[in-house]
Amino acid sequence: MSAAGDIRMQVRDLRVELAETGEQILKGVSLELRAGQIFALVGESGSGKSVTSLATMRLLPEALQITAGAVLVDGQDLFELPEASMQSVRGRRVAMIFQNAMSALNPVQTVGEQVAETLRLHTPLRGDALRRRVVQLFSEVGIPDPDSRFSFYPHQLSGGQQQRIMIAMALACEPDILIADEPTTALDVTIQEQVLNLIRELTRSRQLAVLLITHDMGVVRHTADEVGVMYRGEIIEREGVEEFFHNPKQDYSRRLIDALPDLTRFQSVAVEEPLLQLEDVKVYFPIRRGVLQRVVDHTRAVDGVSLSIGRGETYALVGESGSGKSTLGRAILNLEESSGGRIRFKGEDIGALSRRAMLPYRKLIQVIFQNPFSSMNPRLTVGEIIAEGMVSLGMGLSAGQREERIGQLLDRVQLRREYRNRYPHEFSGGQLQRIAIARALAVEPELIICDEPTSALDVSIRAEVLGLLQELQREFGVSYLFITHDLSIVPSLAHHVGVMQAGKLVEQGSAEQILTAPRHPYTRALLKSVPRLDRA
Amino acid sequence: MWELDAKPVLLWSDALVFMLVIVLCTFFYRLRNDPQTRERWSQVFSSRLGMVTFTIIMVYVGIALLDSLHFRRALASPAGVETTEVFYDNKVTSVLDLMLDGMGDRYERTYSAPLALKSFEKSDMKDEHGNLVRDYEWLEHAGRHLASPADKWPDLLRLTGIALAWGLAAAALVVGLQWVLLRGSAYPWYASWLVQAVVICFMVWLVSVSHYYHVLGTDQGGTDVAYQSLKGIRTGVLLGTLSTLVMLPIAVTLGVMAGYFKGWVDDVVQYLYTTLSSIPGILLIAASVLLFQVYIDLNPDYFAVGMEKADARFIALCFILGLTSWSSLCRLIRAETLKISQLGYVQAAHAFGVSHRRILGRHILPNVVHIILITFVLDFSSLVLAEAVLSYIGVGIDPSMGSWGNMINDARTELSLEPAVWWTLAGAFFFMFMLVLAANLFSDLVRDAFDPRSGSGRSGA
Amino acid sequence: MLAYIIRRLLYAIPILVGVNLLTFTLFFVVNSPDDMAASQLGDKYVTPAAIENWKRKNGYDKPLFLNDSATGLATLTDTIFFTKSVRLFAFDFGRSESGRDITTDVSTRMWPSLAVALPSFALGIWVNICVALMVVMFRGTSLDRWAVFVFVALMSISYLFYIIGGQYLVAKQWMLVPISGFDPDFKPWKFLILPVLVSVLSGIGSGARWYRTLFLEEAGQDYVRTARAKGASELRILFRHILPNALIPILTGVVVLIPSLFMGSLLIESFFGIPGLGSYMLDAIRSQDFAIVRSMVFIGSILYIFGLILTDISYTWADPRVRLS
Repeated sequence: MSAAGDIRMQVRDLRVELAETGEQILKGVSLELRAGQIFALVGESGSGKSVTSLATMRLLPEALQITAGAVLVDGQDLFELPEASMQSVRGRRVAMIFQNAMSALNPVQTVGEQVAETLRLHTPLRGDALRRRVVQLFSEVGIPDPDSRFSFYPHQLSGGQQQRIMIAMALACEPDILIADEPTTALDVTIQEQVLNLIRELTRSRQLAVLLITHDMGVVRHTADEVGVMYRGEIIEREGVEEFFHNPKQDYSRRLIDALPDLTRFQSVAVEEPLLQLEDVKVYFPIRRGVLQRVVDHTRAVDGVSLSIGRGETYALVGESGSGKSTLGRAILNLEESSGGRIRFKGEDIGALSRRAMLPYRKLIQVIFQNPFSSMNPRLTVGEIIAEGMVSLGMGLSAGQREERIGQLLDRVQLRREYRNRYPHEFSGGQLQRIAIARALAVEPELIICDEPTSALDVSIRAEVLGLLQELQREFGVSYLFITHDLSIVPSLAHHVGVMQAGKLVEQGSAEQILTAPRHPYTRALLKSVPRLDRA
Repeated sequence: MWELDAKPVLLWSDALVFMLVIVLCTFFYRLRNDPQTRERWSQVFSSRLGMVTFTIIMVYVGIALLDSLHFRRALASPAGVETTEVFYDNKVTSVLDLMLDGMGDRYERTYSAPLALKSFEKSDMKDEHGNLVRDYEWLEHAGRHLASPADKWPDLLRLTGIALAWGLAAAALVVGLQWVLLRGSAYPWYASWLVQAVVICFMVWLVSVSHYYHVLGTDQGGTDVAYQSLKGIRTGVLLGTLSTLVMLPIAVTLGVMAGYFKGWVDDVVQYLYTTLSSIPGILLIAASVLLFQVYIDLNPDYFAVGMEKADARFIALCFILGLTSWSSLCRLIRAETLKISQLGYVQAAHAFGVSHRRILGRHILPNVVHIILITFVLDFSSLVLAEAVLSYIGVGIDPSMGSWGNMINDARTELSLEPAVWWTLAGAFFFMFMLVLAANLFSDLVRDAFDPRSGSGRSGA
Repeated sequence: MLAYIIRRLLYAIPILVGVNLLTFTLFFVVNSPDDMAASQLGDKYVTPAAIENWKRKNGYDKPLFLNDSATGLATLTDTIFFTKSVRLFAFDFGRSESGRDITTDVSTRMWPSLAVALPSFALGIWVNICVALMVVMFRGTSLDRWAVFVFVALMSISYLFYIIGGQYLVAKQWMLVPISGFDPDFKPWKFLILPVLVSVLSGIGSGARWYRTLFLEEAGQDYVRTARAKGASELRILFRHILPNALIPILTGVVVLIPSLFMGSLLIESFFGIPGLGSYMLDAIRSQDFAIVRSMVFIGSILYIFGLILTDISYTWADPRVRLS
């Protein structure tokens, strides 16, 4: 093994184009990977970071074409190798792990067999020795009971374990270089931390040269030695990690860093009259079994949640995927039937209202969904989309007044009035989310349920949308129930925070109290994995 | 010039097909502003293959429509009888028959090979001395103008030359007009124009040569095979479209209801289509057609002319095919509706208190239209093929109505004759193959453009 | 698993009842037994007496649903519905209009059907997979595009032409095999070659095209990229990763057809003179023997439902992700 800090892979002036139109995707990317160090390539979606990683391994889809550049490994340019020799480089010298382990693993092959395949391709190991090596790799990456896991299929493992299998597969032939493309994005924050630690340890112990591709500045802060910021196909800034976070040179880099939470400033808690009160709300889904499909048990999606949201207040409901937070939101909107408890809005119980009786409350409680692309009918114009609620809830407006109001709303969410005649597919995610906000505001609601409204957006745009939401709150005094998995956006936004786990609200309190002095161990675990600056 | 002494006849199938044309036109007219639909259609038509296949399909549809304008000719009053009453021919003629200029009226006694002058089989006849001889008979409508049989090929060449000249002139006129209108367009219209020119030349040639020869020979009954093949077009096209038209409302209504309301509605719909699809389709169709035939046979007085009886059976067949084949489309629409119901915009509509009817009409139906369209185009070709099989089994089109299936059915043993009679099968094969191939290729393009799943699943940055 | 199968079997009962009601409505309500008798007897012989006679002979001289003249349970059982439809559930098919025992006919005729249908089915799938794999190996090239065009062209030819063409070329021109016929004792394979060949050939167009799309769909999946990143060759990826995954939809798509193989093929059997259930049905349709058609509808539905259950079971067997509940 060579000494730490040696250059293991050098990418020089890599250029990639769209084969059909000749549009430039990468405009001359250069970087070096050094033994025992992690180089983090950060950027938002579409910046070209994944293309860079695939191009170095010559794994680009046919629509993309490498037009110039070189990738040197041990003085050998990979772009000059014939495809057959390239196959002995992949997996042997340079290994990769991908974002979504569930889909990146072959669903009908046992995980042991998939790891063994790498070894079979590049080493003479066979039979028992091969199996022993795989089991050893499994235990190295921290898979419990590795011997029996050999014959498991990917779907039988948890997301974190699947990603560990991917890592075992990548490390099987002891490569010098590891390319990790968003290895933790699909994982819950607590698992994310464990996987990143594993990658970090292995980098040190095996003197790996790692290219880590991510959009998450927190991940960079935790794991990387060197950072490259990618923007529109170019690396606009390259720096050691300490220097980068304390003294970013580019505006764009600063914006990315600023999106990290600041745990020193919180929203002051104002005690107000309660607008929405939940008392022991339950949402159960029946589990049916047996010949007659009798209900044998229930999935307790929401299991006795009580909380209260005041007028003009933001309540952040935090939890990992599957914790029941979105189901609770749907129950409040009466889109899901609640199985027990009371949902009081301005003192009235709205939990058991019929479709018709619910109508007057529809005006007062509105919703913004996570995925802006699927939350608008692609066949309606923006104007028609915003007008829908006004028409169906009978705001008592004439057609002319309605048009005028649409214009005002578009102004308010900082979009041009002419956009009303355009169709959703012409807009970016951030713009669509503004339209969704305008649609919700159109009926003058008092409570808006925001179901992960920013999780599909890039960080720089996320900040703008959140800023807009806060402005509107000050202006109209509307309350938010803000459902999110991302604790990092909470401090600047929420007055109160509730933490949900497996359908139960395990802890709630003011934002400051939850984020600085959490009591429940789960909250602490969540909080520990939140990336932030002040830890440095 | 022919006098327009004629009485129009509107068969039920004519009425239905023109209604379908109107429905389709308004449908596409209303969709003209929809951005997604426009984009997808332009994807279909920006390929040369799309243009060519669409033009071919349109030619077939055009011929089918011309063949659907029916009338009965007025008969000339018998000489010496003074009457103001006009009698009409019992035979129903179509505009296409007029344009083919009597092609269907030139019967021979029996088989004759393509472009032959004499009959295919020997028959007894008398020579000029009145002796009975057994020889190949001269055809009644082939080569009568020739001085000697040896002149046949030069004469054909001459006819072809004249026909091509006329054809090219006509094509130039048609294409030239379009060129003036469409020259700035980004679509590859030239591919379509080429097809149009070829079709026009071919038709002009066919009609003009048919005056003197049987281009594709004659069949056992002595009918011109080329004429029969052309008459088969209407049957094929109408069956392919009308059956789908019957099926669509059932499949769409049930599918959307099941996917949207779920619960017991879904259970009932699922039960219905599982039951229906578990019955062997061909038996169900056969049984239904036979039962309808029994009804026709027992109530002969409902139908004025023979053609109406055949037409009733044809319509019944369309309905039966439609009623028995909705299950697969229904399943697709149900699945898509289930998916759409979960999407944000439907949920948002619920949150806005939008009524069920409005959600179905505004949010769900417009977003399953692409499935309907794909099915419409895909099913077309399989229905055309199915017609041939059903006619073979004996539960298809009425034998008196021209169809490719009936042609194949009548001719299926002719290949085993010595020498083989191949032209009837060849005629049916060619006209059917061209239509089905064009429809299949076109449906592939439509599916690629409209089905998000079939798009190239490329992964990128 | 067992509970699941039992539930599916129970679910089959209402479906079969539905099938039965539907066919009963078609055969006895839309057209009364009188109409049927009239058309069976032919125009010349239609007299009220002849109709009554025909109805009595064939057991249609009873009320449809309720027999008021009978007593006790017989009010329900001594009806057309009970004798003609309900008894199908006991696999009692009764006699055809021409007086033959349908059960015997079916049990002797299903074997020739199977002899043609089973090899056609198995060979067809194998050939289609091979052809599709070959095409997929050349994906993205002009060879692939031309292959797709050829598939579509093959699909566009009517099934009848495959049979007629096959008989003309192979049997008449080249005289390699008999044109038609079937002899279970004397070299039956000689009679089977052509029908099997024709059905395999006619299926290539649609089959290989469908399998090609399935293969391509799998080729775009993430795990294929993973395999490539491991250093696996394209051939290995195709056979070790894409093929096993694509076999799941292929397998489960064709399993539903397996029980129906007993029914044979209408066209193949009639053209090649094979005395199977296919030609049995065709003869029944042509002679308007509704007793046979009714029985075959019932048998066909049972086989189809059985195929659906088999499909579900094959899913659990082929795909480790699926567990029935």
